[in-house]
Amino acid sequence: MTGAIFSHALRRNWRQILYWGLGMALLGFIVMWVIPDVDALQRTTEMLQAMPRPLLQFLNADDMAALATPEGFISIGFFSRAVLVFAVYAVSFGLRVTANEEDEGILDVLLSLPVPRWRVVVEKFAAYTLMFLIIVALSLGGLWLATSLTTLPVNMGRVLESGVAMIPVVLVMMALTTLIAVVVRRKATAVALTSGIIVGSYFIDFLGRAASGTAADSLRLVSFFNYYDFQAIIQTGIRIGDVVLLVVVTLVLLGGTVWAFARRDIGT
Amino acid sequence: MRQDNAVIETDRLGKVYSGRKGQVRALDRLDLSVQPGEIFGYLGPNGAGKTTTIRLLLDLIRPTMGQALIFGQDARENSVELHRRIGFLPGELNLWKNLTGDQVLDYVNSVRGRNDLPYARQLSERLSLDMGIRVRCYSSGNRRKLGLVIALMHKPDLLILDEPTNGLDPLIQQIFHDLMRETRAEGRSVFLSSHILSEVQAICDRVGILRGGQLQAVETVSALRSADFRWVTLRLREPVSPRLFDGLPGVSDVIQSSDGIRLRLVGDFDPLLRAVESAYILDIRTEEPSLEEIFLTYYGSHALSATSVEMAAR
Ligand SMILES: Nc1ncnc2c1ncn2[C@@H]1O[C@H](COP(=O)(O)OP(=O)(O)OP(=O)(O)O)[C@@H](O)[C@H]1O
Ligand SMILES: [Mg+2]
Repeated sequence: MTGAIFSHALRRNWRQILYWGLGMALLGFIVMWVIPDVDALQRTTEMLQAMPRPLLQFLNADDMAALATPEGFISIGFFSRAVLVFAVYAVSFGLRVTANEEDEGILDVLLSLPVPRWRVVVEKFAAYTLMFLIIVALSLGGLWLATSLTTLPVNMGRVLESGVAMIPVVLVMMALTTLIAVVVRRKATAVALTSGIIVGSYFIDFLGRAASGTAADSLRLVSFFNYYDFQAIIQTGIRIGDVVLLVVVTLVLLGGTVWAFARRDIGT
Repeated sequence: MRQDNAVIETDRLGKVYSGRKGQVRALDRLDLSVQPGEIFGYLGPNGAGKTTTIRLLLDLIRPTMGQALIFGQDARENSVELHRRIGFLPGELNLWKNLTGDQVLDYVNSVRGRNDLPYARQLSERLSLDMGIRVRCYSSGNRRKLGLVIALMHKPDLLILDEPTNGLDPLIQQIFHDLMRETRAEGRSVFLSSHILSEVQAICDRVGILRGGQLQAVETVSALRSADFRWVTLRLREPVSPRLFDGLPGVSDVIQSSDGIRLRLVGDFDPLLRAVESAYILDIRTEEPSLEEIFLTYYGSHALSATSVEMAAR
């Protein structure tokens, strides 16, 4: 029956939603906690400006203007970390789409039922996407709650936009994991390969930002982190073009997964 | 025995696995047909290609040559439709470890989009299976019972079972045999693989014997049973020399045992009786060969020692 795999995946994982959501909300609280007041932020910014530029880049805080506002601080303190934490979500749930059950030999039973292979991929991916949306909503809720406990003037609209813009980059990572796991078949290899690509992308983006005009800068185009510029979003708002691009990439990766999965032997 | 309404029909079905260590021809041009309402036993030693055949039928793996038709439809193209009518028990059964038996059945039931839970409950009671336990805590026999319930609960037209009684105790095996006979009585079909010859003998209508990926023979169980040899034991009042039987047509494997003379006879009785007519015959006993012996004959003496070890281990 359509939706059975989807709703089963949701039911089996609602605890995960809680853990991830509460964890991220906690991170939001901590970030808000360390912003004492706007003056202190200003002072921190001045102090940071005196620091050597590479060190600032390493701290992901090269953009002073962003840091000077509370939401800028949130952007660097929360979203720069959240996207990395969610990379772990993306890999671990990407593996659950087919790889884990194939590894455990369960797919033989599931696929002997009247269900086409593409539906296993699509329904599970949809379930883990919905779960992720809930987790992001919980995280933003945590940030909002933490903010409302302070007197800081925070531009919540921009914070929300940063959260929304983070969704497709995580979905790209999840779809990439799913595709690689379907193609390489060995779970350990898939994890290594995907993590390599994610870390590589992150560093290309990082180096490219640091050294504009270099080879790394032009390479940034292929790094999906390039399309989630949380500092720019805080200052100028969400970039619809980037979001659309990432969504399209997700769909292409998912299409590739379905294509490859329908074609191959299970569990060999 | 080709008929148009065959339940399973394979046409030069073949599978070559290609791995790091080169290629393995696991199944070679299999031509097989299973008829409605029959229990077909698929017999062969380890590595013969039984599981490969079964996974091809279920479209879990793809043939490197040939095709399989189930209910006249391509097993690959129409797999989703066909799976509605098939119940499957894998040889190596793995299920969701954190779910209880009930939850597993619930999930399977909802993926099938049916409501078979009442019958599933009856089945689990019949197999004395406790459904409230998590899969990881089931013994391997109980896990297989759960697998059987999954395969049987929607009363499929075709059951494909890979070594179904593996790990079941004799009592449950008996219940399983009953279930298979009931399935046949309802006109549904069963394709099961096995190493256990006595089981095949007990419930199957026909057997196919597979070795090294090649189908060696397909026979009805009754034909195999009436295969043209039997063991004859003659009890005579005075001992006679086994030499007496040298050169007798159809007689071989003559041994002197404490019971008398035991020999293997092919064909008519008459030459044998004439050879001993001067002796006083106390008793003549004949035994039909067991399927084991027929199996061994098909397999040749080469496989004999390995298989006898396997038999002795049971
Ligand atoms: N995934 C695979 N990759 C490579 N070779 C395989 C694979 N699966 C099976 N084989 C090989 O194919 C042959 C047939 O294996 P199969 O599992 O079909 O045998 P079987 O008759 O089911 O044996 P058993 O009675 O032990 O279950 C064996 O030689 C086996 O080693
Ligand atoms: Mg097998």
